[in-house]
Amino acid sequence: MSTTEVSSKIEYSDSEDRNALIAVKSHLIAGLLVFLLMMLAGLAMRAAQGTWLEIGADLFYQIMTVHGVGVVGAAMITSTGVQWYFLRQYVKLSNGVFWTNFFIFLTGVVLILGSIFVGKYGGAWTFLFPLPAISMGAWSTGAAAVFQLGLLVIGVGFLILYLDFGRAILARYGSLSRALGLTQLFGKEPVDYKHPAAVVASTMVLIVNFMGIAAGAVVLVMGLINLFYPEFKPDALLMKNLIYFFGHVVINATMYASVIAVYELLPRYTGRPWKTNKPFYAAWFAIVFMVMGVYPHHLLMDFPMPAWGLIVAQVLSFGSGIPVLVVTGYGALMIVYRSGIKWSTSAKLLFLSMFGWAAGVIPAILDAMVTVNRTFHNTLWVPGHFHFYLLLGLLPMLIGFAYFLAGEGDSKERPKAVDSFGFYAYLIGAFMTSMVFLASGANSIPRRWAAHLPEWIGFAQAGTIAASLVVLGMLLFIMRALISLPGANNPR
Amino acid sequence: MYPKAKQAWLLLAALVILALPPMQRFLEQSMVMHMLVQIPALVIIGWITGKILPENWKDNIAPWNRWGITGIALAIIIMTYWMLPRVQDAAISEWPVELTKFITVPIMGMALGISWPQLNPIAQGVLKLEFWATFMRLGWLYLDLPDRLCANYLLSDQRVFGQLLLLAGSIWAVAWTLRIMFGIRIVNT
Repeated sequence: MSTTEVSSKIEYSDSEDRNALIAVKSHLIAGLLVFLLMMLAGLAMRAAQGTWLEIGADLFYQIMTVHGVGVVGAAMITSTGVQWYFLRQYVKLSNGVFWTNFFIFLTGVVLILGSIFVGKYGGAWTFLFPLPAISMGAWSTGAAAVFQLGLLVIGVGFLILYLDFGRAILARYGSLSRALGLTQLFGKEPVDYKHPAAVVASTMVLIVNFMGIAAGAVVLVMGLINLFYPEFKPDALLMKNLIYFFGHVVINATMYASVIAVYELLPRYTGRPWKTNKPFYAAWFAIVFMVMGVYPHHLLMDFPMPAWGLIVAQVLSFGSGIPVLVVTGYGALMIVYRSGIKWSTSAKLLFLSMFGWAAGVIPAILDAMVTVNRTFHNTLWVPGHFHFYLLLGLLPMLIGFAYFLAGEGDSKERPKAVDSFGFYAYLIGAFMTSMVFLASGANSIPRRWAAHLPEWIGFAQAGTIAASLVVLGMLLFIMRALISLPGANNPR
Repeated sequence: MYPKAKQAWLLLAALVILALPPMQRFLEQSMVMHMLVQIPALVIIGWITGKILPENWKDNIAPWNRWGITGIALAIIIMTYWMLPRVQDAAISEWPVELTKFITVPIMGMALGISWPQLNPIAQGVLKLEFWATFMRLGWLYLDLPDRLCANYLLSDQRVFGQLLLLAGSIWAVAWTLRIMFGIRIVNT
C-alpha cells in the first residue's frame, strides 16, 4: 500500500503527489484564465456603458450573463484547487475524483458558453423564472435549457467531489461535527490546538455547498420542466428563494474555501503556527448556519416574502461575515505583528485579502438593511459590494496561493519589479473599480442596464479606466503563473 | 425447512397476495396507495429476493455486474419507466401492462439489492441525492400542476401524493443530516 498515515498528515506516494500537483496547477491556471477573460468581459461592458465601445444590447446581456456565471465558476474551480491542495494533507483524497470534477466542470463550461454565444441566451446567471421561457425571440428554449443543463452538470461534478471530501473526512474523524471541532468546543474532547484549520473550513464548505447543490438540483430541473411544459408554472417566489439559496451559498463558500490559504501560508511566511481554539470552532460552527440563512437579503424587495424571513436575513447579514472574519482577521494581524515577515508577493496578497474581505462586507451589510435596500438594491451599489469582496478579498487569496506554488513557497525571494508593478496596478484598479460602482449606486445609477443616460456616462468611463488597471495587473499575474507555475516543484 | 427456502416461500406468498384482484384493486384505487405502498412493496420483495439468491446464481451474475454498475443502470431504467404517469394508467386498465409491472418492479428491487452494496460509496451518494431530489421535484410537480397526470386518479389525490412526497423527502433530509453531522442513526438511509 503506497499511502501511510504519519502523525496528523497523510503521506502519498511520489506518483500520487506529482499527479496531484499537476491537477492543482490545472485548476489554478484554468480558473485564473477564466477570471482574466471575465475581467475583459467586464471591461467591455463598462466601456460600452461609457460610450467608448459599441455593443448591441443583445450582446451586452450575453456578456453580462457569461461574466456573472463565469466569475462564479472560476471562483469555484480555483478555490476548490486551493482547498483540495491543503485538505489532502490531512485526509486521504482521491486524485481521480478531483480530475473527474475538473473534466465535468469543463463539459459544463462548454455547454454554458454554447448556450450564450451560439444560442444567444442572455437571461443572466440567475435564470429567474419565468424569464428563460419568455425571451420574446432573443434566444430559444433550447438555449435556455442548455444553460441550465450546464449548471446542472457542474453541480453534479462538485457533488461527486464533495462526497469524496465527506467520505475522507468521515473516515478520519468519524463525524462532521468532530471534524468541525464541535466535540472540542462543547468539552467532549480536550482542545487540540493542532486540529487542522483546513479540515474545519473544508467541513463547513462541504456542508453548505452540499445543501446549495441539493437546492440547485431541484430548482434547475423545475426550470427545465417549465421550459418544455409551460403549463407548469411553479411558484415564482419559491423558485427565486431556491435560486438565491443555491447561488449565494455557492459563491460565498468560495471565500471560506480559499481562506484556507491564509491559515496555511501565513504561518509559513511568519514562522508562527496558526492554532485552532474554541473561538475558532465557534466561529466556523456559526457560519455554517449564517451562510445558509442570509440569502433572503437578495429578496428584500419581494413584498410577498414572509416578514420573519426578511428580518432573519437582515439580522444574520449584519452578523454573517463577523465570526470567521474576526477570528481570521485578528489571527492574521497577530501572526504577522512583529514576526519579521518577508513581504513576498504571495504574503502581500494574502494580507490584502484580509482587508478586502473585511471592507468588502461593509457595503453588503448596509444594503442588507431593508430601508437602504429599498433604494439601493437595483443600483450599481450591489456590484460595488461583490467586486470589492471578490477582487480584493477572494482573488488575492487565490493569486497569493498561485505565487506560493509558483516558487515563492520555497525560495522566499524578494518580489520582482514586474510583480510589484502588477500588485499595485491590481490593487489600485480593483479599489477604484469597486469605489466607482459604489459611488454610482449612491447616485442611483441602475445595474444591469446596457445603455446609460448621459448623466451616468462619466461614472462608467471612470469605471472603464479602473477596470483596465485590474486587467493589466491580472495579466501580469497570469503571465507569471503561466511561465513559472507549470515547472515549479511542490513547496516543502 | 432451510431459512432461505422459508424466506423464498414467504416472498412468493407476499407477491401472490399483492397480485390477488381484491388486494390489487384496494392498493390501486388511490394514487397514494399505488405509488407509496404497492410499488415499494414490490421493490422490497425484489430487494430481499436478491439478498437470498443462491450463491452460485450470484456468482454467475457477478461477472456481468462489476462494481454493481449494470444492476444499478437496469434499476434506474426500470424506475424511470414506471415513473411515467401514462404507464401507471395503463397498468390499471390493461392486464399485460400490469403483469409487466409485477415482473419488472421486483426485478428492479432485486437489481438494487444485489448491486447497491457493490457500488462505489461516491456513486451511492450521488444516487441518494438524486433520489432525494426526485422526491422533492415530483412532490412539487404533483402539487403545482393544474392538470391530472393520471386519467384514473383525481386531482385531489395527486395533490395529497405530492404533499406526501415532499414530507418523505424532508424526513429523509433530516435523517441524513443527523447521521452525517452527529452520527445519530434514525433509519438506515
